[in-house]
Amino acid sequence: MIGCPIARRGSKHFRVVAVRGVALLVLAASAGAQATSGDPARGKALVALAGGCGCHDTKDGPVGAGGRRLPTPFGAFFSTNITPDRETGIGDWTDEEIIAAIREGYVRGKGVEAPVMPYYAYAGMSDRDVRDVVAYLRALPPVRRENQPHQVDLPFARLAFRVWRFLFTSPPSPPAEAPAAGLERGRYLAQHVAICGDCHTPRDRFGVPQADRYLSGTEHGPFGKAVPNITPDPKTGIADWDADDIAHLLASGQKPDFDNVQGLMAEVIDGYGDGLGYADAPGADLEAVAAYLKSINPIEHQVKRD
Amino acid sequence: MRKRTLLALASLAVGLMVWPVIASAHEHDAKLPAGPIRDRHKLMEGIGAQAKKIGQALKARKPAAIPAPAEAISADAKKIPALFPQGSVNPKSRAKPEIWTNWDRFVSLANDMSTDAAALAGVAKAGGDSKAAADKLFGNCKSCHDEFRVPDKK
Repeated sequence: MIGCPIARRGSKHFRVVAVRGVALLVLAASAGAQATSGDPARGKALVALAGGCGCHDTKDGPVGAGGRRLPTPFGAFFSTNITPDRETGIGDWTDEEIIAAIREGYVRGKGVEAPVMPYYAYAGMSDRDVRDVVAYLRALPPVRRENQPHQVDLPFARLAFRVWRFLFTSPPSPPAEAPAAGLERGRYLAQHVAICGDCHTPRDRFGVPQADRYLSGTEHGPFGKAVPNITPDPKTGIADWDADDIAHLLASGQKPDFDNVQGLMAEVIDGYGDGLGYADAPGADLEAVAAYLKSINPIEHQVKRD
Repeated sequence: MRKRTLLALASLAVGLMVWPVIASAHEHDAKLPAGPIRDRHKLMEGIGAQAKKIGQALKARKPAAIPAPAEAISADAKKIPALFPQGSVNPKSRAKPEIWTNWDRFVSLANDMSTDAAALAGVAKAGGDSKAAADKLFGNCKSCHDEFRVPDKK
């Protein structure tokens, strides 16, 4: 090591130098391995409540390796590898780069991502929570899988995504810590972790979720499927469900008439492939989300389903 | 047609659809072809309505309110196989072709529903563990739906 006096082997001086040398090596190695200050166990609970980041899973593939085809009116997108593989995943990224992708849609080396990645909703995830998510992602088994290019019909796609972000979102101003309890926690989890609105809120022609129709359902949801109205509207929503019914559904997929949800909702509850889902999230958090859903504006909107 | 025109038409359609439309179950049924396809949909909705009563009775800890809907479910479940005649597939129906390729399995799940619903009625009358009996009954719904019902229809 530079500057260390040469010491005779076996002397006490040599042992001290050797210990310091090992300590330096360990520090250097951990910096290279992108040490994070987050808690992966808390991160796991958050990822479960985010539906396991199931868009980044495939039915039979390893968790987080991406490659799922996501069709939209603007083209087909392929989810990316978010495992810690250093060449094909995010293992080489810093915490700040991963956080920028999640909360700002800024992808290292590529620029602003299409809003098929709902960064504009995760923008409100607290600093502590997003670090915990990063810690969890870094603990996934690394998988070598090259990302594949999107099949987008737009000209100047990367510019279009940047313009979309500029026109339709605000720069994130997340809290340092999430609300700990009550309706505030439920609102935070629903809006910035579970992001119910990403499927349940209708979008305009530019793909922007319409805030004044929040959670009132749409015939044109992900993959072109109909998504129900989950506002407490008595005619067209779920006014007759109590908070226990909603929490029970989120934990099990079972409705108050004992029918079961299937399709995409079942996926976010059970997890897609081997991924996590709401069923793996803490019961108290599901109850908080349920209480919040009972408190939002009822909106009359009958979603037609065949 | 250009993508942008298609998008404009789609957004126009969505705009029209957000007018409040009260589509009752009756209107919904009317979209299905008359005969077994419509009848079995009505049967399933009826079973759901009875199941909901059982759920409410459990929550309210009123086991006396359980036997009637449970017995109704038991009787309805016996009607299921006859409502799925060979070839009764339709784009508007959520019945999967597996019903007919795995017919024995389909019928056995319908029979389980009938048996378990009758058992629940008996348990409730005798003052036993209605919740456990109800859980067993309603686990059947999920098994059959996951194997034999199409996940979503647009």
